[in-house]
Amino acid sequence: MPIAERGYAHWDGAFVERRFPWWPITRLGIRLAFKRKFFKPLFAISLAPAVFFLAGIYMSERIEDFQFMFRGRNGNRLLGVDPAFFKTYFTFDTVLFLMVMLMVLAGAGLISDDLKFNSLQLYFSRPLRKRDYWLGKMATVSFFLLIVTLVPGLLFILFKIIFSGSFKFLTTYPWIPLSVVGYSLLVTLFFAFYTLLISSLSKNRRYVSILLFLVYVFSDVFFGIFYGIFHEPAFCLLSIKCDLQQVGAFIFRVRPQYDVPWIYSVLVLTAICSVSGFVLKRKIRGVEVIQ
Amino acid sequence: MTTGDMNIELKDIRFHYGKITALDGVDLALGEGACGLLGPNGAGKSTLLRILLGFLIPAQGEGSVLGYDIRKDQFLIRRSVGYMPEGDCLIPGMDAVTFTAYFGELSGMPRQEAMKRAHDVLFYVGLGESRYRLLETYSAGMKQRLKLAQALVHDPKVLFLDEPTSNLDPQGRTEILDLIKDISLKKDIQVLVSSHILTDIEFTCSHVVILNKGKVAAQGELEALKEIQFSLYELRTKGETAGFLKGLKDKGCRVEETEDELMKIYMPANLSRTEIFRTAALENVQIRYFIKSRTSLEDLFAETVGVD
Repeated sequence: MPIAERGYAHWDGAFVERRFPWWPITRLGIRLAFKRKFFKPLFAISLAPAVFFLAGIYMSERIEDFQFMFRGRNGNRLLGVDPAFFKTYFTFDTVLFLMVMLMVLAGAGLISDDLKFNSLQLYFSRPLRKRDYWLGKMATVSFFLLIVTLVPGLLFILFKIIFSGSFKFLTTYPWIPLSVVGYSLLVTLFFAFYTLLISSLSKNRRYVSILLFLVYVFSDVFFGIFYGIFHEPAFCLLSIKCDLQQVGAFIFRVRPQYDVPWIYSVLVLTAICSVSGFVLKRKIRGVEVIQ
Repeated sequence: MTTGDMNIELKDIRFHYGKITALDGVDLALGEGACGLLGPNGAGKSTLLRILLGFLIPAQGEGSVLGYDIRKDQFLIRRSVGYMPEGDCLIPGMDAVTFTAYFGELSGMPRQEAMKRAHDVLFYVGLGESRYRLLETYSAGMKQRLKLAQALVHDPKVLFLDEPTSNLDPQGRTEILDLIKDISLKKDIQVLVSSHILTDIEFTCSHVVILNKGKVAAQGELEALKEIQFSLYELRTKGETAGFLKGLKDKGCRVEETEDELMKIYMPANLSRTEIFRTAALENVQIRYFIKSRTSLEDLFAETVGVD
């Protein structure tokens, strides 16, 4: 089409000052994640444990109706909705594994794709801070993780109150909502840093996906091997899963599985987040947008 | 043009990467229209663009883009300029409309308006029909147009184009150059083109800035520069030319000899062409052919930077 036929009108609108300049990045990340193959089924599956636990809350309030399912008095113990119930959900192997799988599908390409396809130059030639870019990417991962942690946690409390018809649960454990919020934020923040760290290490999304999965799994495998040989619980610090479980046990005031101070696990998780911050600072540099 | 009309002004800009001096006292004043930024590798073009976009703070000197201070108002500068990078840039999984609107939104446009504007701009750059196709399926020429679209979406007042025709076939190159010319001449957008392809600059730009070793070697209107900087003469001679050539070089001329024994003499503006004949007479050289050649940007570049 010749130039003469092409129109170009100047834009007479006004720019807006966004309170959250990172929000368009997050929105795009979420949208692109849902476009990925297998993501929708995985997302649905990742909600299944929450549904299962919600059913547990309902059954605990109607224990007599479901007594036939259990022998003796085990039903009461099994379906008791207490801090241990919350700790079990939040540190449940399956839930953590599904969170990792969500990160693999929704988070692997967050930075690696930008590095591979040179889109960092486009981002940073806009009025966008490095901080906004990070926040946008982290919020994408956080969105999915909070749906699997914070939302079910709060729903558990709400449904417990609705099914029991009283606030007794909240008066008995008034700190539970705070624990739910605190642990959800902790695990989300950690996994967001973890995802961005690994995503920034390679330009190849497949390598990043594999690495996200393997680091998580092998940290646990190594713990298993060393624990099996030396019977030293301190090796649990090697395992990301165990670290999260140890901290979870502390937050929900439950006896931790391994006799290791929870603070060490916090330190391990903080160290990983710090490394992530350092690597991201080195890798994401606006000044290099013009090659 | 007065100083107030200048969109880009730099005064005594100096920048160092450690011990390496990238820019050494650069003074620039660019008004409206298209300007070509030329220079050999390492001349400081990229550093200059980085400073203009506010990614680097100069060690010394001051400057402004559209009246915004390059030291303080980087965000305002980036909101008002468009940047088209050199390499391929895209986000996989997106179509052109979403992509263009996304970057409009990141520039500060309201979402709805960014989307509407994305359609308009994509039609303008010639991607209207394929605006819903996935970007991964785009050809090199289409990706180049897409980069131009994202640079134009927020209606910048200044456009920085980095090697806009790299990796393009002749047809695609012509189309992009036509677009650039249209933008700079008819759309009231100042364009700064950084390119190694001198003919592209010559086609699109009325002004040129030549950087060499971190300094501005030449700047101004292209036609005037070609006249002012030097005169180019082509001649054929008979006889021993060594003394003749030495004599010309001593007078400040640069001489090139082509394979078909044609001599190209770049003569400084302060010298008269009679000096050529005088030197030839002194050295007993016969001039068999003499013509004042039309100077191209290539000649200007070669003369200014001192490379063939």
